[in-house]
Formats: sequence, structure tokens, C-alpha cells
Amino acid sequence: MRFGRTSKAVGVAAIAALALSACASTDSGEGNSDPDASGDTGASSGGVVSVAEVNPFTSFNSDSATGNVDINGKVSYLTKSGFNYINDQLEVVPREEFGSYEVVSEDPLTVTYTVNEGVAWSDGEPIDGGDLLFSWAVSSGYFDDADAEAETGTTYFAAASTAGLDLSLLPELGEDGRSITIEYTEPYADWEIAYGVIDTPAHVVATQAGLADEDALIELIQNTPEGDPEDPQERPELQSVADVWNTAFDTTTLPDDPAMYLSSGPYIVDAMVPDQSMTLVKNEDYNWGPETQLDEITIRYIGDATAQVQGLQNGDVDVIQPQASADTLASLEALDGVNIFEGDELSFDHLDLNYSGVFEDENVRKAFMMTIPRDAIVESTIRQLDPEADHRDSHIFDVGTPGYEAATPVNGSEMYDEVDIEGATELLDGATPEVRIMYSVDNPNRVDAYTLIAESAEQAGFVVVDGGLPGNEWGAALGTGTYDAVIFGWVSTGVGVTGVPQLYGCGSASNFSGFCDEEAQAAMDELIVTTDEAEQQELQTIVDTRLFDTGYGLPLFQSIGINAASDSIEGVGFSPTQEGIWWNFWEWTVAE
Amino acid sequence: MVTYIVRRLVAAVLILLGASFIVYMLTAASGDPLADLRESNVPNRDTLIQLRTDLLSLDVPAPIRYFEWLGGAASCLIPFAATCDLGSSIAGIEVTQLLARAMGQTILLVTGATVLAILIGISLGIITALRQYSGLDYGVTFMAFLFFSLPIFWVAVLLKEYGAIGFNTFLADPNISLTAIVITSLVSAFIWYLVARGTLKKRLIAAAAGFAFAAAILFFLDITQWFSSPGFGPVVIAIAGVGIAYGITLLTAGLKNRKALYSALITVGIGLIAYFAVQPLLDLATPLMIVILAIVTVLVGVAVGYFMGGYDRRQSMNAAGLTAFLMGFTILLDRFMQSWPLYSDNNRIRGRPIATLGSSTPNLDGDFWIMGIDTFTHLLLPTIALMLISLAGYSRYSRASMLEIMNQDYIRTARAKGLGERTVVMRHAFRNALIPLATLVAFDIGGLIGGAIITEQVFAFSGMGQLFIGALGRVDPNPIMGVFLITGILALVFNLVADLVYSVLDPRVRVKA
Repeated sequence: MRFGRTSKAVGVAAIAALALSACASTDSGEGNSDPDASGDTGASSGGVVSVAEVNPFTSFNSDSATGNVDINGKVSYLTKSGFNYINDQLEVVPREEFGSYEVVSEDPLTVTYTVNEGVAWSDGEPIDGGDLLFSWAVSSGYFDDADAEAETGTTYFAAASTAGLDLSLLPELGEDGRSITIEYTEPYADWEIAYGVIDTPAHVVATQAGLADEDALIELIQNTPEGDPEDPQERPELQSVADVWNTAFDTTTLPDDPAMYLSSGPYIVDAMVPDQSMTLVKNEDYNWGPETQLDEITIRYIGDATAQVQGLQNGDVDVIQPQASADTLASLEALDGVNIFEGDELSFDHLDLNYSGVFEDENVRKAFMMTIPRDAIVESTIRQLDPEADHRDSHIFDVGTPGYEAATPVNGSEMYDEVDIEGATELLDGATPEVRIMYSVDNPNRVDAYTLIAESAEQAGFVVVDGGLPGNEWGAALGTGTYDAVIFGWVSTGVGVTGVPQLYGCGSASNFSGFCDEEAQAAMDELIVTTDEAEQQELQTIVDTRLFDTGYGLPLFQSIGINAASDSIEGVGFSPTQEGIWWNFWEWTVAE
Repeated sequence: MVTYIVRRLVAAVLILLGASFIVYMLTAASGDPLADLRESNVPNRDTLIQLRTDLLSLDVPAPIRYFEWLGGAASCLIPFAATCDLGSSIAGIEVTQLLARAMGQTILLVTGATVLAILIGISLGIITALRQYSGLDYGVTFMAFLFFSLPIFWVAVLLKEYGAIGFNTFLADPNISLTAIVITSLVSAFIWYLVARGTLKKRLIAAAAGFAFAAAILFFLDITQWFSSPGFGPVVIAIAGVGIAYGITLLTAGLKNRKALYSALITVGIGLIAYFAVQPLLDLATPLMIVILAIVTVLVGVAVGYFMGGYDRRQSMNAAGLTAFLMGFTILLDRFMQSWPLYSDNNRIRGRPIATLGSSTPNLDGDFWIMGIDTFTHLLLPTIALMLISLAGYSRYSRASMLEIMNQDYIRTARAKGLGERTVVMRHAFRNALIPLATLVAFDIGGLIGGAIITEQVFAFSGMGQLFIGALGRVDPNPIMGVFLITGILALVFNLVADLVYSVLDPRVRVKA
């Protein structure tokens, strides 16, 4: 068959038209006619806020060792409810709409937790006994029979912290099916923050691990005996549950199965772009807690501080949390329409002296402490961020807390407020002790501190040896006795008192300087079994005072954090807690 | 030839092994992966340290750990088995997954900039070589070196300050002040003065024309509030089309070839008709459709050239095909501009279209055009920053190579036999001048994936560079090794490709086995 030129052309045109219409978009230009289809609900009511975070999201399980990254915890704070939260004053505030808890017995310490009726995961499954029991099983390390030295046994649930619950017995579930009673083998001061409902729903973990349902998981937990490092057992069923819990919730993309990111809080994850952003929308079912204003929250991961500031200026983000530096602060201060929030963070640098070697003599320690120019150190570090900043005067209490205000006048820190070279020379009485100071040479603040301390101490007759180590070595050198003094930092949890004996208890793992004082030890022994706050404060003050009196060393300064928000966002405030700026996200509103 | 390739590949594998060992050792020595845990005071600190030690096998000495890693990496070589194991990061995410994503982001970021830098750089180099020691030559050389020597983080921050923050503020109220018009026009006059050749009088006239032209355009843009709702419209497209037709014909066939010129002009005419015809179709555009349309457009152009015929059909087909492509591109651009107001008023954009961060606006929902503009507004600044800095290399290389070629005997021969200057430059000199650049280009394409660490950092792109630097900060060895593996392989492969391409392009170079 032959075709004419015209019919060929028509044929080609027809085929082309067909091909084009086949690949045309099917939504017939909807995006055109309705430009703000997706977001107009947001604009009309509660508004939309975009927040910059430094680290990208990696896991829906922020309770696990690998998932325990600040951003995961913050997303958990937005999407999960709990029995309590910590406010910007570092007080534990119960959430009564979620559930209640009460101490039923002081000795042995027994606490009953009850979740309110109607509180549920976003798939409709109530938060009940299974979740409560599973939370305990994970956070208690009850089944672990690992022995690090013998290299036998297993750590089942790799929980980020087992504080407190490691001292508890297998709890009992209440008859209402939504309460649990936890009994501690020893009184535990921080019981209030020791237990909470974890991120991962028990029914999801159970089915993912191949168990029949949540009840099967409850049964498994109740019937499996406690782990014993002396006699490690193979427990395949528990192992498969632990494997699911340890790894299945780690993801940087939105899982296909909605069960993997259930919400029990005000927001639920709606979209995730790996390493770039995450979008949270309101959880429609949520009514067990403060009512939130914002309809949608976008979290964008921006590591660079300058990029965060310029993003805020350009309106790409509304709230930023850049790494604090004098430059960042200066560029933020130059912006219009921006509120800056500054405050003390929970980490502090300190100088510790060994209770051995050249510092065995208390007078030598005290003489050295007298020479430490804390004002000059503050001047060269944090005062650039905050002109009002002062040195920290307590080993135990964080700046700004009531305990700090009460303790600093009486704990003996006043003696070291000013550099006293004369006093130090007198105490040394002509001796010229050689002091090796260890610090991380990769941390500019600590290099500054070392330089200033060395200069000042030499005036009093000390011979200072630079024991600075690179960033990858100094950590391992802690407590090895290869130095006489060390400058480094602690990050405190802000709430609770059990951290105190870990740092200052006789022979405890993080007590690197060999401090061991009878009076302080007695106070600490009482402290960890005391639940009354006023008494806790009193006991902590005793320890603090003993630290100064025996010449433990000096706290130098507390780090400063900087956050900023566009002034169109109201209700934002600084908090030193791990949640940081998010701590009161339900109070945020977008001004019209 | 085959022996040569095999030998090179074997050498590449050995280099890769040696280099990866060194990088692994350096990474292991660069820091303490347990540092954050050592400063922590949670009660189960020792368990956590133990867990991470197990995860990263920290209790095994680094040289032995390297071979464990190598074993996992070697399993990637088994085809279709999906057994690739490059380990996982400290946060428990698999490195293969991290790499795939980071590569996508980096390619998105760097491709446009590299292509533009190559095109513009080579053009500038050729032009400045042809006008050696002219004001234009000095001007371009000066600018190229200026940009070359600027630190990119600084350029990027400045670009954001003025190109995004400042420009967005301007867009909110797009009134061009008189001062701005005068200054821009003066700059334009200066450029015209540099570009024009001939006597001082002629160049001054060109400068005056440049001044008037720029002033008129800016005035027009201001009056019509062009920046709020940009677009070309059929008139501008027609004028631009005729300009394109003349320019392309000049380069490909010479204006004396009337058939080629007419083919190009006819294509422009068809393009104008098509402009009206395809508008409803474009409303439903998908990427596939645009690709098909582009192919159809070029085919139509080629067909026009074919039917116009003439003694040298090829020339007409080339001229008309290229013109058709550029015409289609102009129409596409116009269609994007038509969607600009919709994009700019979208409540995700909030009237500040040029972005400073990332590769897309989160949760933006729209058709092909809206999403296209979104990508454009995000890539604009990083592309400019990267391009400015790599322009110098290409323009200097191509200038040097072109200068060398223009002094060759065969150029003199070509002139002597009476060929026109256009033919001499385009056919005899230009093609040969590109040969040395093949090495440079091949190598740069290999380096694309390595990413632009600082640019990624400043523009918050989560590409290869970010993956690398982030992992280095956390002393997280597996992602570092993953990035190194990819960039290392690409560098070696493209090095080989460059050598092979060179021998194909230049028959004088023979690969010796």
C-alpha cells in the first residue's frame, strides 16, 4: 500500500497527538487553577511554622541507643504524649489529661501509673497495659544477661538509658487493663522521670516480631525469667522482639506502613524528605493534652549557622536554633523583625584536680584553685555571647535554678571568686609543684581556659606542664592518672539527682579525680533514696560544699544557647532542656 | 587497545585498594567515635559504649577492621545479588541508602552549573582568543580571575544576601529606581563598548546604543511591572526568534547561504504558530511530554531544512534544527514565566520566591510548571556561585588552546585557499581547539559526584559533600568510606575515559598497549 505525502503527514501528526495526550498530566491543570490547594487550610486557621534543626531525623524510636539523637527526641516530643514533661524552669509537670501516677508506698518505693481512658495511638488502638509493660521491659534492661568481660550473653533492648528502672521488679498490670504498678528494690529519688511510655507501640512491635498480638507480647514479658549474666540463656522470641525494637523504627523516609510512625500526641508525621525536611500535621484524634494552635510544622535540617540565619531572614524558616557563636549573635542582632532567645544550656566546663600525686595535699589544691582566673576565662568565652554572663559557682546546681541561688552563698565558692595570687603563694609556702593539665586541644574554649590558667598559676609558683591532647585521645585518658588537673565538660540532665553520685561517689565510674569524702558520700547515699525536693536540695548543697572545701576543682562556665524566631511567631521561649525551643510548642501561634 | 584498558583497570583497582586503606586509617585516627558517650553521665553508659563498640567493631584494630569493611564492599561486585554491604552509620542507617540519596542531590546541584560553566567558559575563551589583547580580552580575563580567586562560601553568602533576600524584597514592590536604571545602563554601555570593534567613534556609538537599549528595557520592565508577572508574549518571541535565526545561520552556514537563512526563518514562523497552538497542551505538561515536544520540534526544524534543500542540505538542516530547538526553548521559558505569579503567591512561598536553602520547598504542591519554577528558584543561587568559580578554568584553557590553533599552518592554508573567516574559525580552528578540553571536561564530569562540600554546606544541600563532612565530624567511618569509594571509582574511570576519548578525537595520539 502506498501513502501520499499528505496522508503520511496526517498520520504522523495523529500519532504524535496520541502520544502527547497519553503523557499529559491527568490533574488537568489543577495546580494552576488552585495554587494553594494544599496549604489554604493552614493559612486560614492556625498557621504553618517552619523550624530549622541542625541534625537530620533518623529514627522513630528515640529511646534506643542509635535513635537517641536530639532531633529524634524532639519529633517524639511533638508526636508522643507522656505522663509528664519538663518545663523551662526544669520542673517536672504532670500531664493529667494523659494519665496519672502516684506513689502507693514509700518503702519499698512503689508507683502506680494509669493511662486515662480514650488515650490511643493514631490507629485507634488504645494505649494500655501492653504498652506500659513493654515500656518497662525496654527501659529496665530486665532481660539482659550480657557480661562484657566474659563476652557472654545478650543485651536485648539497646535502650539509651536504663536509669532507675534497672532497680525495679517485674511490674504488675492493673485490672482495668491500662495501669501498671512498678516496685523498686531500693528507694530511687528520680522515680518521676525514670518511667514513661516509650515511642514504640507494643501492638506494632508484637506483630512485626511475628507474635500473634499485644497479649502475646505481654505474656512473653511476664513469663520470661529475668536475665542472669552468670547463666546466659538463648531466648529467640525475645530476641526477635528486641531486633524489631532496636532497628525497625530507624528510617529517614516515611515508612509505607503507617503503623511504624503512629502518633499519640498533638502532631503526626505527614511527609519526610530524607536529610532535608519533615512535615508534621495535627493528629485529629488527639484531645488528651494542651490544645495546639499550629496546623502544620515543617522541620528543615540546616547544619550551617549562617545558612540558618539567612534562611530566617529570607523567610525560608521561622524559628532557628543555630550553634551559638559571637558571629551568629551579631548577625542575628542586625536583623529586623526577629526575636532572639538566649539562655544557659545544660553543659558546663570545669577544672578538676586529682586527689593524688602533686595535688595530694589539700593546700596545694586550694592554692591552685585560688589562681584560676575564672573571670578572664568567662570574658574570653561566653561573655561574647552574653555580656551579663558570669562564671558558674556550683558543681551540682545549674545556673538559674532555685538550688543554685540557695547554694552559691554557702557552698564555699566565694573564696574563689577573685584570683588570689598572694593567698596561693602563702599556701604554697615556697614550694613549686609541677602540674600537668590535660584538655582537648581541638576545643578552642578549653585551649583559652588552659592558657589563662597556666599563666595565672605560674605567678603563684606553680610549674604548669601543657598536657593537651587531640580530640580523639583526651576522652580515653580521663581517669588514667596521666595528668594532675583536667579541663573538660559535663552535660547534666537538668532534672533529677542520681547524676550526683555518678560523678562524685567514692569509686564511681565517672569520678575521675578520686574524690572520696565521708560526709559527702553519706549525703549522696541519702540523696538517691530521698524523694522530697527540699531535702534533696539540702543534701546536694552538702555535697557541693564538701567539693569546694576539699579542693575538688572549680566549675568554670555554663554554655550559652541561642535561638531566634521571626516576630510573626508568638509564644516561643528558650528552654535549657533537651527539647530546647520546642518545650512549649503548643503555645506557639502565628500572628496575622 | 584492549590490553591497554585492562592494564589501566587493574592499576585502578590497586590504586583504589591502596587509597581506601589510607583513607580508612586516616578516618580511624581522626577522632574518637565514643567521645559523646564519654562525656555523658547516664547510668548505662558502659553498655552504650559497648553497643557502639560492637556496632563499629572498635575493639578490633583499625587495619583489621579495614579488611572487614573491604569484605562487605567486595560483595557489591557480585552482580544482581543485592548483597552490597558498605556498613551502616552510627545512627544505624545503611550507607548504600545514604549514598544513593546524596548522589541524587549532588548531581542535581552540580550538573547545571557544570554544563553552563563549560558552555559559557568555552565560548568566552574562544571569543577572547579571537580578539586577543582587546579591551574585551582584558575585561573577561580580569573577571575570570576575580571570580576564580573569590572564596566560595563568601560568594555564596553574598549571593544569598543580595540575590535572594534583597531580590525578594525588591520583588515585593518591583519599582526600579532611576539611579538603578542609570547605573545598569552605564554598565551595559561599558560592555557594549568592550564588545564592539572598530574605530573609537564606532565603539562610542555602540556604547550609546547599549546605554539606550538597557535603559529602554529597564524602563519598560518597570512600567509594566514585569517582575510581578513576567513573560515574553508573541511579539518578543517573534523578535527573539528572528534574532536566533540570524545568529544560528551566521554560525552554522553563513548568511550568504540564503536557503539556510530562509529555513531558519520559516522555522521561526512555524514556531510562532505553534506558540498559540500548544498553549492548551502545555497546561497539562509532564516531563515526558516536554521531551517528546522537544524532539518533535527539532524534527520539524530539520524537515524544513530538508525540504528547502539547496546545494548543501546539511547546512540548512543544521541551521533550522538548532533554531527550532532554541525557539522551542523560548516558548518553554515563556510558559514557565506565565506560571510565575501563581508560584510567587503560593502560600508556601509567601511572596519570597528565591530560596536560600535546600533543593525544594517542603510540601509545595503544583503542576509541572510550579514544581519546575521551584527547582529553578532553589538551584539559581548555588548554580551561579559554582559557575562563576569554575568559569575561569574553562575560559583560560579554551583561550590558550584556540590561540595555539589559530597560529597553526593549516589555518594559514585555509585562509590562503580563500575560505571565509567564519569557515576558518568554526570548521578548522574551533573543532581542533576543543580536543585538549575533552580531558578537562571528562575529568570534571568524574568530579561532579565528589560534590561541592562548601556550597552544599552553605545552601543546605544534603549531597555527597555533606555526607562526608558530617560523618567526619562524628568520626563515623562507614559513610566516609562510601563517599570515598564512589568518588574514587569515578575519578579513576573518567581519567581512563578522558585518555581514550583523546585518542579517538586526535588521530595523532595513539594508545600504546
